[in-house]
Amino acid sequence: MIAIKITNLDKSYGKIAALQNINLAVPQGAIYGLVGSNGAGKTTLIKSLVGITQPSSGQIFVMGHDPTTDKRKLRKKIGYMPQDTALYETLSVSSNIKFIAKTQSVKALDKNIRHVLSITELSDRAHDPVHTLSGGMKKRVSLACALVHQPEILFLDEPTAAVDPQLRARLWGLFQELAADGTTVVISTHLMDEALLCDKITILNKGKVVLVDSPLNIKRQGTTSISVNTSDQEYLEIINSTPEAIAEHLHKFGLQNNVSSIGIDSSTLEEIVLSIVGENPVET
Amino acid sequence: MKHSLIIGQRVFLELLKDKRLFGLSILGPLVLIFFLKIFVDSMPPQFPAARYTIPFAAFIVHFFSFILCGIALVQERTAGTLETMFISGCSRFSIIAGYVIGYFGLVTLQTTAALGETLWLFDLSYGNTTLLLLFFTILLLSMVSVMLGIFASTFARHAGHVLPFIPLVMIPSIFLSGLLIDTNQLSTWAEIIGMLLPFYYANNIIQEIITTELIPSIIYRNLLALAGYVFALLLIASRTLREEN
Repeated sequence: MIAIKITNLDKSYGKIAALQNINLAVPQGAIYGLVGSNGAGKTTLIKSLVGITQPSSGQIFVMGHDPTTDKRKLRKKIGYMPQDTALYETLSVSSNIKFIAKTQSVKALDKNIRHVLSITELSDRAHDPVHTLSGGMKKRVSLACALVHQPEILFLDEPTAAVDPQLRARLWGLFQELAADGTTVVISTHLMDEALLCDKITILNKGKVVLVDSPLNIKRQGTTSISVNTSDQEYLEIINSTPEAIAEHLHKFGLQNNVSSIGIDSSTLEEIVLSIVGENPVET
Repeated sequence: MKHSLIIGQRVFLELLKDKRLFGLSILGPLVLIFFLKIFVDSMPPQFPAARYTIPFAAFIVHFFSFILCGIALVQERTAGTLETMFISGCSRFSIIAGYVIGYFGLVTLQTTAALGETLWLFDLSYGNTTLLLLFFTILLLSMVSVMLGIFASTFARHAGHVLPFIPLVMIPSIFLSGLLIDTNQLSTWAEIIGMLLPFYYANNIIQEIITTELIPSIIYRNLLALAGYVFALLLIASRTLREEN
């Protein structure tokens, strides 16, 4: 099942082409990463998908609905967590979630609010004003707002930017649980270690799709340099990054006693992406 | 309508929670009216205090509501909450109507406090019908101010962009709407510009109530003009409010 289908999408702001000829198909229930540097077009693409930005040309279908013409039906099915937390700072955590829940006509309001507070680990701060929370907590409130109406597709625009590693790991655990339950998660990031956690990624550069593949397949496009040092000789060879290629290469050495050390230096996903993107490096 | 009520409730709750903003919104007009009292007391005894003071109180409420609402909506835009509301299924119309509902509580308090202080400080007394009409006129003017604030916010990318609209809307109201100079003393072009401003109609009603024998047709005509202003701005703002920042 395809959750999102994008065909020949273009978006320009005056003379600036923010998105150019984007063609994508996002499978349902997947964690789909939009990877690229700042200004690559990730946010514009997400905003086009949620119906906030009007495309200049091309077609988008999200769960079979056109975001520009079928907003009402679509908005029930999508959750959106913006790059900025987009919260009412003077209101409490639960008031913020309740407001979004009411606008989405959520049934069993209190039960749903308790549930999202629980999964975002905010139950004990439910009555605190948002301005008293840390940046990471605000991100979680924003996520709770996006989840309260149990959307079928979740759009997350750099949800872990400026978040500490522990919270980032917990959030990714939550995204994986949501995907396992059938929610399609579209996530934008410029962090390569996060891209590795996606089922499939699209690399964007200057508003264009550079590559669409699984992180594992992209990693296979990289190389591994193997150096084998014996007591009297040193071997260095560049081979494919697959584990099989590495094993096959080492077989010929038989791992004798005089092999004192084996060094393996594989390309990181970041290095591969950099070589694909070329002159515009992806930020880490 | 359901969304408008939800938004209105949230806007009012936010105003209540921001105690400083809420307090200053009520106190600001009261302090200015107090300074007006000091000024009027320095004038000769035959100075027609009512002719200036009640329109001035109405103008202050008009001024404060316009700025507060304009800036609040720009903050919604810059914080990204306006986008979130659109994505949650709220229409432009329901957002604007929600703001009017949310600010209704504040402007009602502002109007009551400003009118009450003016009557008390300047020792003015009117019949119940006149008082009710004065109250209703200032309240309707405040609704226009909220709409004008929303309209101005559509041209602003941050709160600072609302500032140029303050002199643009408010200064012509002071000089061309009959607050300082009777409109029949103005040149034709100035009077035409004045007629484009909502305060012109509010001032006409107030002057009619407090200075001359009350003529219902003039009152109704001007009330209708103010109500028309509310309706027209609601339509215009609901078309110009942008989803995207």
